Amino acid sequence: MPIPTLTQSIVITLIQCLLVVIFVFVVVPLTVFAERKVLGYLQQRLGSTRVASGHVGITGWMNRGMWKWGRVPVLSYWRGIPGLVADVLKLILKEDILPAKADKFVFFIAPALSMVAAVVVFAAVSFVPGVFFTFPKWFPYLGGLPVSGGIADINVGLLWILGVASVGVYGIVLAGWASNSKYPLLGGLRSAAQMVSYEVPLALSLLAPVVLSASLNFGEMSARMATGMPALALIPQILGFLLYLTCGFAETNRLPFDMPEAENELVAGFHTEYSGMKFGFFYLAEYINMTVVAALASGFFLGGPWLLPFGLQGLLNPHLPAFLSWFGEPHAIFFVVKIIFILFTYIWVRGTIPRYRYDQVMSVAWKYLIPVALVNLLLAAVVRCFAV
Amino acid sequence: MEHFIETIGRNMFAIFGVMALGGAAFMVGSRSAVHSVLGFLFAMLCVAGCFLSLEAEFLGMAQILVYAGGIVVLFLFVVMLVEMSKKKEKAVFQLQSRHAIAVALLGAAAFLGVFRKVLFGAASPDALVLRPELAAGLDVAKQNAQAVSRGLYADYLLPFEILSVILLVALVGAVVLAKTERV
Repeated sequence: MPIPTLTQSIVITLIQCLLVVIFVFVVVPLTVFAERKVLGYLQQRLGSTRVASGHVGITGWMNRGMWKWGRVPVLSYWRGIPGLVADVLKLILKEDILPAKADKFVFFIAPALSMVAAVVVFAAVSFVPGVFFTFPKWFPYLGGLPVSGGIADINVGLLWILGVASVGVYGIVLAGWASNSKYPLLGGLRSAAQMVSYEVPLALSLLAPVVLSASLNFGEMSARMATGMPALALIPQILGFLLYLTCGFAETNRLPFDMPEAENELVAGFHTEYSGMKFGFFYLAEYINMTVVAALASGFFLGGPWLLPFGLQGLLNPHLPAFLSWFGEPHAIFFVVKIIFILFTYIWVRGTIPRYRYDQVMSVAWKYLIPVALVNLLLAAVVRCFAV
Repeated sequence: MEHFIETIGRNMFAIFGVMALGGAAFMVGSRSAVHSVLGFLFAMLCVAGCFLSLEAEFLGMAQILVYAGGIVVLFLFVVMLVEMSKKKEKAVFQLQSRHAIAVALLGAAAFLGVFRKVLFGAASPDALVLRPELAAGLDVAKQNAQAVSRGLYADYLLPFEILSVILLVALVGAVVLAKTERV
């Protein structure tokens, strides 16, 4: 295997960054679309169907047929997809309004901060252990070089993820302050308090995998959590997963914890004064954060690139017959499927659970989640001490 | 190209250091308190970059996590609510220049003393290690977290615990101060 020079390795890293950005910008619009549709079906309506071009009219025709037939059309899953293009165009083309008394610099920098903090987390996420693919020999400049499954699988990856995620709070707080208006400020303050509070149980719930796997490296952690755990470790893993997912919902400001933008109390929360692509950045950042939380949950608890969640893969692998060995190996496709499943869970929960009151949000974090997370950590330590 | 990138890589510490100084200068110089916090955040992130360029990943990440992610957010939380639109409040913050100069000079003298020792004093041949058997087989460049935890929990356990008690005292003090007004 040839060893890349410094310039080549930088080019490879840039290609990896590009791949991750493409992945994110494919998943995010589809999540937006899925949110409309799934939420629609959860609430017994059709979701977005209005913007559907004549070229995909076959579903429209089938729909009409089903109405005539006396059935509610369920075949219209992809009607409304052109609406996504319309949405993006609207965000880009809309007038960018700067409030007269806003702090211009901070108003400008806030959306960028939350967007950057959301994307940069992916640097430490390892999608598949080892080599993702190798450039073919004929490829100019990079022929025969391997591309690893993560951009920078550093040995303190988890700390990088937690640190950058906590920098994401600034975007929201500063946006609320810079707008120089009451509702955004209230929304920003609420979100700062909420996100700082929920970071504690979030980090504590992630400490259980750290204790169990004795590593801070994302790839190593997901590999050991998926394949190297005893059966006893199931309890802290499942409990930790539920804790992590709850805190993840709160950290990304999704229902049932969407305090910063509780629309019947705060208009639109911290981004009330934002318009055009600046608002678009907040919108994107929210969905990218959801993807990040999904990636971490699937990496640490759901077995990452391995098929089975919660370390069941390691228990199954010795008994796996040879012709099924493909299912015993790590594949990026499993990782992506798990991310998509958790994104679906987000929408599912949004359609199912009503919003908490603000004091309830805080008491959930401090009175219930943190003690349970500590107990979970203790369980993990006991398992680590006696079973591993 | 190769040479250029290598040069940049070798001088990463200086680059981040200069950027951190720029952020600190912005923090001191800006009129708006929130802008100051932003400068502080930038300086903290650059200091984390300095740690990274010295192959101390754990410290760099801890820097981001603790300072950029925790402490500066709380600063921002307080500073946002301090509205310095009234002239009198502004005057309070601007009429302390004489004290400020005195404090700055004092701080500079203290730091110069430390720096003189660090830069020109004789370096000790080995780090102070109380239990060397724990360090056996530890690759510090690759096992940052393990090396730091060995330092904290084996070599310097007592000072570390005393420091944490001091932090606890500060916490309790803050609660007491906040509570007494209400009763």
